[in-house]
Amino acid sequence: MTSMSVSSQLSRALPKGSIICGSENTRAFECDGLSVYKQKPMAVALPTNIEQIKAVLKICRKTKTPIVTRGAGTGLSGGATPLEGCVVLGLSKMTRVVSIDAQSQLAVVEPGVRNLAISEAVAEYGLYYAPDPSSQIACTIGGNVAENSGGVHCLKYGLTVHNVEAIKMLTMDGEELILSRSDEGLGLLALMNGSEGLLGVITEITVKLTKKPALAKLVMAGFDTVRECAHAVADIIKAGIVPAGLEMMDKFAIEASEAFVHAGYPLDVEALLLCELDGEVELVEAELESALKILVGASTIKVSENEAERLLLWQGRKSSFPAVGRLSPDYYCMDGTIPKRHLAGVLEKINELSKHYQLRVANVFHAGDGNLHPLILYDAGVPGELEKTEAFGMDILKHCVSVGGSITGEHGVGIEKLDAMCVQYSVKELEVFHQIKAAFDPDSLLNPGKAVPELHRCAELGNMHVHHGELPHPELERF
Amino acid sequence: MKSIAELQQLIKESEQIHIGGTSSELKKNIDMSTYSGVVEYYPEELVITIKAGTSIAQIEQILKKNNQALTFFTDNPEQTIGALYASAGADFADAVLGVQIINGKGELMNFGGQVMKNVAGYDVSRLLVGSKGQLALITQMSFKILPAAAALSHQKKPRPQQSTSALHMSLTQKLKQIFDPYGVFV
Repeated sequence: MTSMSVSSQLSRALPKGSIICGSENTRAFECDGLSVYKQKPMAVALPTNIEQIKAVLKICRKTKTPIVTRGAGTGLSGGATPLEGCVVLGLSKMTRVVSIDAQSQLAVVEPGVRNLAISEAVAEYGLYYAPDPSSQIACTIGGNVAENSGGVHCLKYGLTVHNVEAIKMLTMDGEELILSRSDEGLGLLALMNGSEGLLGVITEITVKLTKKPALAKLVMAGFDTVRECAHAVADIIKAGIVPAGLEMMDKFAIEASEAFVHAGYPLDVEALLLCELDGEVELVEAELESALKILVGASTIKVSENEAERLLLWQGRKSSFPAVGRLSPDYYCMDGTIPKRHLAGVLEKINELSKHYQLRVANVFHAGDGNLHPLILYDAGVPGELEKTEAFGMDILKHCVSVGGSITGEHGVGIEKLDAMCVQYSVKELEVFHQIKAAFDPDSLLNPGKAVPELHRCAELGNMHVHHGELPHPELERF
Repeated sequence: MKSIAELQQLIKESEQIHIGGTSSELKKNIDMSTYSGVVEYYPEELVITIKAGTSIAQIEQILKKNNQALTFFTDNPEQTIGALYASAGADFADAVLGVQIINGKGELMNFGGQVMKNVAGYDVSRLLVGSKGQLALITQMSFKILPAAAALSHQKKPRPQQSTSALHMSLTQKLKQIFDPYGVFV
């Protein structure tokens, strides 16, 4: 029995067609949205229920086979990139909406349900699921929880962690753990949000549902300088307005999006602000009036007249990644966050770096919550250009940390930002992360090596965290 | 208690220590009420960073000047923000963005930050909400705040908390070991 291969054991334990093996067949799973990194898994398991997940866990536990849990594979940081010799545990077949409680505004769903499918399932009750990552057509709720995904409406409606009421999960031991917002004691539910598949396998999620607003209006304002646009963002917040979305784009991003979507963006401005106001009709009208007063210095201004126009104006922004993608063989999307007051300065720094590295960059921001998405344009076909691009990206992230921000706001660390983690955290803090992983998964079989860098990696890089003038990692050898 | 260095020293020197409350001959105690005040507050960021001994009343007064407010329910203005953090639940944790802590070995660490979105590393700053002073001394914390009118809609009364499973408790024990391996915090 023990000599039987892991793939054979899996094929025997799960129904026919649930296990994919062989180099040709597993190719579809060799990467996630960070497609520069590829690795074929040993096998892919596609269970349809919890018992089947337990069976996969049991086989992998006995054979010490690493598991990479995967939703729709839309993640941008390599969280679902397979590891050599691993089993990919794909939950995309677990697509049942278990129950909807419109009264309590809750829905219980399996992890493979797509983000947008939740909103579609509850639309008849005038409800929707608020977090809206740009990949919401495809990405799964299980993946959203694993990454603590954001979107353009986070400032007002929160991240995934704010919209999850409870989860059921399995530990690597196959034990079921139910975590809820009502639990006494430590915030284990919050810990699971954004844990990138390292702590357990999420099998069921109870999400909070939000009432659809009576009215939503989008204000589009163009500015002659980025600085003026950044000031407008601060002024809107200071005036007591909490926009449903507050997005900024630079000239390059505006041009790329307009050429792609024809949303009617002005092409003679340096920065564009999209400010969405939603809620009860009277409130929206009052907020609109104050917003327009604040935006009086804008060179162009437009308020959506109807739903079609509002959605079209959004489409330009939501399509900015593929729009920029049309202009270059490849692009690399960054995800740093900063305190908003540094917005203009950070953008100037990015432009300097762009000149230094001789690589073009388009900037789109979730300005309301200080989340930047610089898109670096490059050509992977040119030898050395990917490395140059990654160095450029790293410089941006280091700058974000130096002004008090973070290396990732919503895309996660995965394999992509392991080095950058050494900049943001001290060795003691990283040790805590490793110990948390060990508390849940002592044999390190769930997505091992992702999300938290090995300590020697940080020392070798020399990308070291400096905090309060202490010498970083004094206990580690330098090379 | 005035400085972080003093707090670290106190924890390093203690075999057992209790956070908050009043000292007695039987029990060594850390009184955080004098470790108070605003560390950083930029109204346009919707973020405030405060020392753990700051009272709810003090914070509310500071925020009021800019017509802003805390997003979680409070009913005891005398309570310190640290005490509330130690006993609160998920609705409170929703507002937490980052913490500075001293662990049971007297080591200073930071988790999370002062930004709305941060998914680098596990969410320790929300994990420790409700830790009852048993894992680490929380020295300062950053919160998301909102304009006063919007904050009101977020302030829900705490729900009765449910007791948890044996697995939940065993994980809690393991996590205690990580932050306080010598069992200093009692």
